[in-house]
Amino acid sequence: MLSLCLESRLDELQRLEAAVENLGEQEQWPPTLLYQVKLVLEEVIVNIVNYGYEERGGHKIDVHLISEPDTLTIKIADDGRAFDPLNQAPTPDVDASLEDRPIGGLGVYLVQTLMDEAHYRREQDRNHLTLIKRRDG
Amino acid sequence: MEINTEREGTLLVAKAGGRLDSINAREFDDALKSAISDSDQVLIMDLEKVSYVSSAGLRVILLTAKTLQQRSAKLLICSLAEPIREVFEISGFDKIIPIHANLGDAKASIG
Repeated sequence: MLSLCLESRLDELQRLEAAVENLGEQEQWPPTLLYQVKLVLEEVIVNIVNYGYEERGGHKIDVHLISEPDTLTIKIADDGRAFDPLNQAPTPDVDASLEDRPIGGLGVYLVQTLMDEAHYRREQDRNHLTLIKRRDG
Repeated sequence: MEINTEREGTLLVAKAGGRLDSINAREFDDALKSAISDSDQVLIMDLEKVSYVSSAGLRVILLTAKTLQQRSAKLLICSLAEPIREVFEISGFDKIIPIHANLGDAKASIG
């Protein structure tokens, strides 16, 4: 279990990453799981800071990691403007040629692909994103 | 993030190290832009020493590949750690950028 309250600034990612690495080490996560959890958290936090708060600091983002034998649950809550990354971001065309391939849109796509479940809800003026990763491999 | 480059004729090898994330993606982009010269025909990005790539790093790699393609030059990538290779594959980058197991293979593919 890990609970952190981050300021809405990108440099807070370093503090978050150190905490996640610490948890992964304690629980002996395989390197791929550790990489995927760090990546997913970066993508989500960057979205919240850039779009939810339009890069304004001074807000709080709550991050919880609940580690169970079969699943890892990541909960992220913020009071930025209502933003459902799971439905509002267009899916990138990963089959396009280099010439036609649009820039961007990969962050949320990686989150959805690497996690087994992703749920969003807006509740009491806060965005709540729940991500679940099964640990069976 | 660090980057070291070696030029062999019209081949530029850029060995990156560290993390390619949202905090240093701009630094990575600037370092590549200042390293690449107009006469380079092939850029091999050696990511053996890179421990982490997020979508911000992928964005810089895609932009670099597109810029090179516009003047008929080419980007190759080599030596990806397994979790990073998986992210490249999910993103479809393996279909648009040749990815080689190591620097030797990448060089050999140029012919």
